[in-house]
Amino acid sequence: MATTPLLQALQGYLQVTADRQQLVTTNMANVDTPGYHTQDVNFQTAMQQVMDQSGNMKLQPASVEVDNLPERPDGNNVNIDRESMMMSETQLQYQMGVQLIKEEFHELLTAIKD
Amino acid sequence: MGIFDMMSISASALSAERQRAEVTSANLANAETTHTDQGGPYVRKEVVFSTNNASPFQSVFNRLGGAGSAPAGSVRLTDVIDDQSPAVRRYEPGNPDADKDGYVAYPAINPITEMVDLMSATRAYQLNATAISSAKQMITESIDILKTT
Repeated sequence: MATTPLLQALQGYLQVTADRQQLVTTNMANVDTPGYHTQDVNFQTAMQQVMDQSGNMKLQPASVEVDNLPERPDGNNVNIDRESMMMSETQLQYQMGVQLIKEEFHELLTAIKD
Repeated sequence: MGIFDMMSISASALSAERQRAEVTSANLANAETTHTDQGGPYVRKEVVFSTNNASPFQSVFNRLGGAGSAPAGSVRLTDVIDDQSPAVRRYEPGNPDADKDGYVAYPAINPITEMVDLMSATRAYQLNATAISSAKQMITESIDILKTT
């Protein structure tokens, strides 16, 4: 359990961005696997799941297959440009989450010291 | 699970792509091999990739502590298959491997196809190497939270 509500939210945010980055990595790894379909996180569902503090176990997966991507003849629809873009984007979002957590700890420390 | 799984997924892809490059190099190296231990010319090889239990249920199961060696989504090289294309016959009566009509069976290997395959294996390898650097950077950043104050 996190110290402040904001920390709790940021922890969930980092969890979701890390999950998304894992799916992007999986898509990149399967760029040559026949029949593989691009996967992504449904951000809203995933965020609701990590923020839900009822303690119920979630079996609803937050990963979804991405529609509207052109499929190659081997049934694979991974688009390298999309994945590279998503990787940079998710990495920056993760960085932002980490910076906000540091800032929150810094403020906590200030409150303790003053 | 979590950010360390990213590295093992990318690593599985690195290893699969490396093996693909190896098979392609073997094809290129043996493009003119007319004599093998099994008899006949060298047979062109192809790799078969498959993804490891990528079903959403399996990934949730693994996340909740279910047993699973490789994380869901890893790539495996499941098989190396022989290309069934017929051998190319060239008229070379002086060759010791020539048949009674003077024709020698050469493997049906097109260097251009192999070079394209090799290039795309290299690119996919680079892509996954980049993904590993990205995962490493994310892990480093999380460790930096500890350096606050």
